[in-house]
Amino acid sequence: MRRFCVFVLVIACCAVNGVRAAEASVLFESLRRKVLSVHDYTAEVKMNINVTYMRIPQLGGTLYYKAPDKMRLERHGGLSILPKKNINLTLSNLIPGGNVTVIEVGEATIGNKKVRVLKVIPEDEKSDIILTKIWVDEKDLVALRTETTTRNDGTVTMDLEYATYTAYCLPDKVTIYMDLKDYKLPKGVTMDYNDQPAPPKTTDKKNQKGTIKITYLKYNINTGISDSFFSKPEKK
Amino acid sequence: MIQLLRIELYKIFKRPRTYISFGIVTAITTVIQVAMLSDGKSFLGFALQGINEQFDIHGNILNGYLVAYIILQSLLIHIPLLVALVAGDMLAGEANLGTLRLLLTRPVSRSQLVLVKFFASFLYTVLLIIWLAVVALFLSLLLFGKGDMINLKSDAFVMLLQGDVMWRYAAAFLFAILAMTTIAAMSLLLSAFADNSIGPIISTMGIVVVLTILSNLELPLFNLIKPYLFTTHMIGWKGFFDDPVPYAAIARSSIILVVYTVVFISATIVYFNKKDIRS
Repeated sequence: MRRFCVFVLVIACCAVNGVRAAEASVLFESLRRKVLSVHDYTAEVKMNINVTYMRIPQLGGTLYYKAPDKMRLERHGGLSILPKKNINLTLSNLIPGGNVTVIEVGEATIGNKKVRVLKVIPEDEKSDIILTKIWVDEKDLVALRTETTTRNDGTVTMDLEYATYTAYCLPDKVTIYMDLKDYKLPKGVTMDYNDQPAPPKTTDKKNQKGTIKITYLKYNINTGISDSFFSKPEKK
Repeated sequence: MIQLLRIELYKIFKRPRTYISFGIVTAITTVIQVAMLSDGKSFLGFALQGINEQFDIHGNILNGYLVAYIILQSLLIHIPLLVALVAGDMLAGEANLGTLRLLLTRPVSRSQLVLVKFFASFLYTVLLIIWLAVVALFLSLLLFGKGDMINLKSDAFVMLLQGDVMWRYAAAFLFAILAMTTIAAMSLLLSAFADNSIGPIISTMGIVVVLTILSNLELPLFNLIKPYLFTTHMIGWKGFFDDPVPYAAIARSSIILVVYTVVFISATIVYFNKKDIRS
């Protein structure tokens, strides 16, 4: 009898876990479908790059995106600076594609919203993404935070805030925290003016790496941007 | 005084040597511009290696503002030589030609003569820097176009929006005039000691080269004297291309350069007043 009870308990636990895993997979698939429903967009953006060794003013411009991985920032004659292509600034790039294993790891609160936390592991061994952790707001079906560990570019954490374009899972504000390597040039080459102040040191661990804040002012979604647009040289 | 200044300026601009300086500035600037036109992208690729590993930068990076900055950086040693060519000749040249004694028979004091010669050297320096601005900045803008400017420091990457650059160049050129005036004052002092102009010109260059090396060597021994060397402060113009601009440091550098200039001119006046002039 005792053995039978243990057996039933184990079966019940497995069944509950199985149901939770299935639920988590369904939740992830629904989110991914929603994210991938946006094939392209153009958006007016304001970007603040906060990296200890970079002193860059706020950059305004038009951001062009086409699924799966094309992105271009046009600054009407100015320079555009974007993180390297393999870490894209969009949610669709940080959510693994193809077959994945989804594990629900619990619940959390972001702001005052309750979210479910999912771990997503791509089954494709060649994928640049090793693991993505997603904090999903089940009610609006949007990702409020992602933490993606990549093969070549360290960990990228992204905080997302939604307002107008929740239906497309397109954020109004995104904060990206990135791992960055050190930057150094020999003083003999640059001949620095010695009295210039050193880059400010931050106490926030995330900011010691690098933060990019993007505010999206207006989206034009699924208008059909051609691939050739992304290889065109920028107008001077 | 004005008449005397006119005569000094006439003497400066009558000599072919004066125009050699303007020619040298044009030649060096043009060589760098041609090199940048033909191979600037690979040069930039090397300089931006550390940044390009992590960021994609698009747009007209190699624009006129950046090229002008590269030119100014390369001319750091050359411009003092060109200033010394004229300022070092002011008193020593007269002594060499045997006209100094004759000049001092005119009803002007020796102090007035030194001040006029210094002011004439200053006006030459101003014209040389204005010419540098024309060929280095405006010609580069014509050849390479406008754009946001990047400034690579040893520990930072600074980006300046194109609308925010022109005033920085104006301020940088004004600072360069101040720095080169210090060189002119030093050259004039050395000129007072000599009876031919080669000595002061070479001595000025020697001092500038040695002190520039000391200013740039990262050794604890030299760190003690660096803040007091005028060559450390001569590159203060670069401060205008930082963000935020280190105004306090630039003001300190300006004061130090002014003090050096006043000391050099005062020393010239004191020495020249006591000098036994035989030629």
